[in-house]
Amino acid sequence: MVLLRQIRLLLLAELRQEVRSFEVVLTSAFFSVVMMALFALSLGALPVESQLMAVPGALWLSVAFVGSLTLTRVFDRERESDTLRALLVGPVNRMAIYFSKAAVALLVLLLAAAVLVPGLIVIFPGAAPMAERPLFTAAMVLLGCIGYVAVGTLFAAGLAAGSGKNVLLSLILHPLTTPVLMFNLVATRALLEAHPGADAYLGRLAAVDVVLVVLGAWLFEPVLVGGGGSGGDAARPARTGAGR
Amino acid sequence: MIRRFLPDGMLLAAALIFPYSVARIFLDTPIERTMGTAFKIFFFHVPMGWLTMLMAVICGVAAAIELRRRSTTASAVALAAAEIGFVCGLGVLLTGPIWGNATWGKPWTGDARQMSTALLWLVIAAYLLIRHYGPSGSRRLAAGLAIFGAVDVPIIYYAVKLWKTTHPTTEVVGSLPPALWAAFWPGLGAILLCTFGLMGLRIRQLVLAEQLDEAWVRVTDREATDGTDLS
Amino acid sequence: MEPIFPDPTPEPEAAAEPGSEAPAQAAEVAKTEVADEANSVPDEYAPVAGRSLKEVEQVRMLESVAAQKVARDYQHIIWAYGILWALFAGYGIFLWRRSARLRADMDALRRELDGPA
Repeated sequence: MVLLRQIRLLLLAELRQEVRSFEVVLTSAFFSVVMMALFALSLGALPVESQLMAVPGALWLSVAFVGSLTLTRVFDRERESDTLRALLVGPVNRMAIYFSKAAVALLVLLLAAAVLVPGLIVIFPGAAPMAERPLFTAAMVLLGCIGYVAVGTLFAAGLAAGSGKNVLLSLILHPLTTPVLMFNLVATRALLEAHPGADAYLGRLAAVDVVLVVLGAWLFEPVLVGGGGSGGDAARPARTGAGR
Repeated sequence: MIRRFLPDGMLLAAALIFPYSVARIFLDTPIERTMGTAFKIFFFHVPMGWLTMLMAVICGVAAAIELRRRSTTASAVALAAAEIGFVCGLGVLLTGPIWGNATWGKPWTGDARQMSTALLWLVIAAYLLIRHYGPSGSRRLAAGLAIFGAVDVPIIYYAVKLWKTTHPTTEVVGSLPPALWAAFWPGLGAILLCTFGLMGLRIRQLVLAEQLDEAWVRVTDREATDGTDLS
Repeated sequence: MEPIFPDPTPEPEAAAEPGSEAPAQAAEVAKTEVADEANSVPDEYAPVAGRSLKEVEQVRMLESVAAQKVARDYQHIIWAYGILWALFAGYGIFLWRRSARLRADMDALRRELDGPA
């Protein structure tokens, strides 16, 4: 109960900050439009039957790139004023921090997807089945984004807490999120091809999401502040790993 | 005493078994009917594939221990396992296309096993990059990555398999006759001994490097305090 | 699923080698005339136990064909095994260089400790 209240409070604070400037939402939405324009330019001329293959890729690659941009921005804000450390020191359950951050990133990503999916339907005639089954599409996008955000929040936070080079985020994020994105690809393609087993893919997607969310929430504290030991790496005298 | 010479012993044993297993593979094993001589790549290709996955799992487990209690040994095991996994994965990814080219006529078919090994290898490579080039304090981050990588092993495999269901599948190896398996085990044993021996050496080296670092820090600390005493 | 050949016959060398079964019987039958033929050019070739120049040349020719086939077939394997050993050797060199660097570091530390004292 306390956890839920803390999540709600932190989330409200995040949202209040976002409403003040709309920075993350606007940049992500704009970036989705850019991605869409790029895909329209590069793949728009494909025949409809090839679009069945191209649309899932376009959708989830866009989500992956928009996602990494969003996560970077969400945590950059914390880093600029070093508030993440303050939050970690404060009397807040670490899981609440994880879930509130993940929820913010998820909301932004869903907004971006709300731009992306209709845009893809307009650009690619092959994507029409998405419009025919809006509920399925919404559930699929939601589940896919949850999986992505569950992994992404953990590592973006880890990088923001350290003296991070943010370039590393895409290095970590993209290999690790490939399986989720592949599940999404399969589900999307099943939808577009009107595959009879398409609904089963949603169940699998949900199962993967559960695994990733549990793992992300469980690892959040040890990765950010260190497990049993005190201080973690920050306390270690830094002699560069030249000898290693 | 045993622990001290265990890696060397393993390497020595591997050196003895390797010639035997190669002789078994090339002289005692009949040639596979559909794939011909190219099939002999199987005997080292498949163990390396298994080892890549095994090393990813070892790396993840060691990283979890490293996160729980800051242990130098666990950290060293994780890094060593990742390095060996990297080498084995590279071996699999390079010999796979050679085999594929010989039997299927094209090097990369996007077969589920190929794809999942490649993805796993990317995760291992990312781990090594973070460990070597990450900012100070990114060790825990790398550990998180390793744990996710280990958990991803089955997910990756399953995802790729699903992904392939919409494509025609190619059967790589069906069930093998016992004669081939009999030649397979010595090779597997040799390669296991060799990799674990190398891993033992590398772990020892990493622990030593860590201790040396600490000794350096202590020496420089002492000099610093000496200096302040003098002034 | 994919059965192998039932018996050890299909080794390419063995399969291509004509000296084994059927050709041997044929040679047995043809022995006398072949021997006569060979005897007509004694300075060039002295037959050994019923083998003629023709037969030996034939065997050599088939052997070279078999050798070429083996070399072609085994090309992949040679590359694959070569790459594997090169990778492991590379890792060995990596280990060795790291240990050399460690040793140098350790010597430096020892000097540092001995020096000021």
